[in-house]
Amino acid sequence: MLTYSLKRLAQLFVTVLGVVTLVFFTMRMIPGDPISAMAGDNLSGAALDQMRGQMGLNDPLLIQYLKYLGHLAVLDFGNTVTTKLPIVGLILGALPVTVSIALGTILLTVLISIPLGTLAAYMAHKGHRMLDNIITGVAMVLDLMPSFWTSLVCLLIFSLTLGWFPASGTVSIDDPGQLLRRVALPVLVLSMAQVATLARITRTSVLEVLSEDYVRTARSMGWSELRVLFRHALKNAALPIVTVIGLSFGNLLNGTVIVEFIFTLPGIGNLLVGGMNSRDYQMVQTLIVFYAMIFVLINFTTDLIYRVFDPRVQF
Amino acid sequence: MKSFSRSWLSAAFIAGVTLFGTIFSAPVPAAAEDKTLIVRFYDDPAGFDPANIFRIENENIAFNIFSGLTTYDSKTGQIVPDLAESWETKDNITWTFHLRKGVQWQKGYGEFTAADVIYSYKRILDPATASPYVSELTGIDTMEAPDPYTVVIKLKAANGNFLHTVANYHQGQIVKKEAIEAAGDQVRWKPVGTGPYYLDSIDVNSRIVLKRHDGYYKGPAPIATLDFHIIKDDATAAIALRNGEIDLLMRESKEEQLQILKDAGFKMNHVDNYAASIKVLNLTDPILKDVRVRQAIAYAIDYPAITAAISPSLQAPAYSLLMPWMDVFSKEAPEYKFDAEKAKKLLAEAGYPNGFTLKVLNTSAQGVTEQQQFEIDYLSQVGIKMELELVDTPTYNQRRNKGDFMMAGRLLPAVNPDMILFSYLHPDNIAPKGLNGARYNNPELTSALEAARAEADPEKRMDLYAKVQKIAMTDLPYIPATASNVYWPSKTNVTGVTINYLAQVNFWEIDK
Repeated sequence: MLTYSLKRLAQLFVTVLGVVTLVFFTMRMIPGDPISAMAGDNLSGAALDQMRGQMGLNDPLLIQYLKYLGHLAVLDFGNTVTTKLPIVGLILGALPVTVSIALGTILLTVLISIPLGTLAAYMAHKGHRMLDNIITGVAMVLDLMPSFWTSLVCLLIFSLTLGWFPASGTVSIDDPGQLLRRVALPVLVLSMAQVATLARITRTSVLEVLSEDYVRTARSMGWSELRVLFRHALKNAALPIVTVIGLSFGNLLNGTVIVEFIFTLPGIGNLLVGGMNSRDYQMVQTLIVFYAMIFVLINFTTDLIYRVFDPRVQF
Repeated sequence: MKSFSRSWLSAAFIAGVTLFGTIFSAPVPAAAEDKTLIVRFYDDPAGFDPANIFRIENENIAFNIFSGLTTYDSKTGQIVPDLAESWETKDNITWTFHLRKGVQWQKGYGEFTAADVIYSYKRILDPATASPYVSELTGIDTMEAPDPYTVVIKLKAANGNFLHTVANYHQGQIVKKEAIEAAGDQVRWKPVGTGPYYLDSIDVNSRIVLKRHDGYYKGPAPIATLDFHIIKDDATAAIALRNGEIDLLMRESKEEQLQILKDAGFKMNHVDNYAASIKVLNLTDPILKDVRVRQAIAYAIDYPAITAAISPSLQAPAYSLLMPWMDVFSKEAPEYKFDAEKAKKLLAEAGYPNGFTLKVLNTSAQGVTEQQQFEIDYLSQVGIKMELELVDTPTYNQRRNKGDFMMAGRLLPAVNPDMILFSYLHPDNIAPKGLNGARYNNPELTSALEAARAEADPEKRMDLYAKVQKIAMTDLPYIPATASNVYWPSKTNVTGVTINYLAQVNFWEIDK
């Protein structure tokens, strides 16, 4: 277990270094830079160039890269190029919002799609294709609706017509009630797409194990269908489901961009898009490093959870 | 395992109950003694240091925090006194400003004096400040304060437009030395001015709160707190207004949302013709260097019809580089009313009877716009094949600067007509050094422009500017396309919202 963790840690280091290098150079390969993004329309070329010099953007690329690595080595992520604010502070400020959305979405998705997928599998197994088809069909339609559209529809229905949730307003971790009211709609929108994926995976995996011998044995022991389904079938079908949940969580952390924009939530996605649009190299680089670390961490956690469901898994 | 799942279940149950309780418990309303105005802000704030400020929305905050020696009348766009009560000049070289007495700085920094004016301008001129607006003040030769309420500024050359330079905008905004020094490298987030509001708190991701400066020299503003909520999406902003979550919507830029808000009975505060959107024609291009080709393009496109068709509220046709409300605007300059036959004739004369391919560089920010589709269609009717090349905004800015384009676009957001003409038509400002993206150089226009800037006699000055506009609109390095209108819809009880010609609002005038 310890060697495994150390190995993973070494992997993390290599991954992050690779990601950092890749991002550093690709960001600078994209035409345009922070200065022209910030003031390109109103300032002359000479004024822009002077500002570039001030920010060290006229230095040779290799020098800039080495300087950046130097700062990174001592965990100095620096300030944003455009607003001069400490990046770590901004990320930590935005993190609770995005994590709330991602966690809420996963929770809602699991609560809906696992029973739904299991039921669909059971029905299919029993030969009742109708319900199975309905569930699969609805999941597919939900999956294919673009989130910017469902977001606006949800705003119109739940915010404007019914008045249940505000469309704007401050979000702070210090006011959990307001936070929940503000993330409720984004969670709903994001869950729609996630439910589809997870329900399908659940259906397939459960359907597979339903014809296994031990399920027949469990039945023959006289246990109720529900118990057989959820205790025996679902638990044995859990590995692919856990994998998908883990991946979804990672994707959600950076996939909240559109809903954050429409629902005006100051989360990580908001920072990333803002950083990208303003060519804030420092901001984008730090966020990507952050994402890389999150993904490695999630994969690690997912592996650990495998053991809970299947003790045969060894590290 | 059994006990584990049971305790897990009960924990989930408790969490669920708490969750419901918090969602549906109503928020406690705050005591409503002092009025608060909730305003939509449409992008991440980038800071409010006058020396390094960009984009209208940030400038609008600074406009309410700071003051200049002069400012702009909200309705007419004309220069009016601000911190300077009056001024005089005989030759447009030596300017004497008489300052208002008893003006108080925000946050207890004492009384405003002439030393603050000199410090502010010197700060812009100091290379260490690295202000992009330094070129606005490099014309200053000497500055003196004979007493605390008088500033005498001597220029290197006559400049009849100096009152624009010292207005409440960018380099003209007066800062306080002690406050700047106390803020260190966070100046942009700790502004201290003499304006009607001061910055109380800011969360760069979601909110900006301004509070009333009770010592403001014109008297305290009616609204005690301005609470700016960052709402980036235009549709969401409109819903927030309809929901009553905000009082005033800074800049709605979607035509269909404007229609909905109008129908719902909201107050549609707006300013028309605040800035022209122009086509930049690269004169180094072998085809476009022929003036007949440029005129043909202008004749070929019917902008009045286009704006009426796609955005009757947000746009109007433009006929000149300057807007009709500007003091030196001339009606004598040629206009190019839609005339396809004339366009064809000019093209034939220039040697392109079958047209040519016009490559148009633009930003991909809005995708292919309806306006561009119309332009393609109009140009094709005279034989010009318009090819669109859409790139992202930073690339667009860079390629425009380098001259790597045939035709591109620009917005002219400025209230100072002299600055527009100088930046876009004077050979000293040819890009990448300046904003003259067309690479235009006509000595006749240049000398008229320089003479106009120096001329002290208002009538002669007007004549010279008229000449400049006439030459510019004949040579046509830029084709005026549309003029933008800006909308700030609000609840009906919000009064006094006047958007000035910088697309800014003076919040001191607002009540609810």
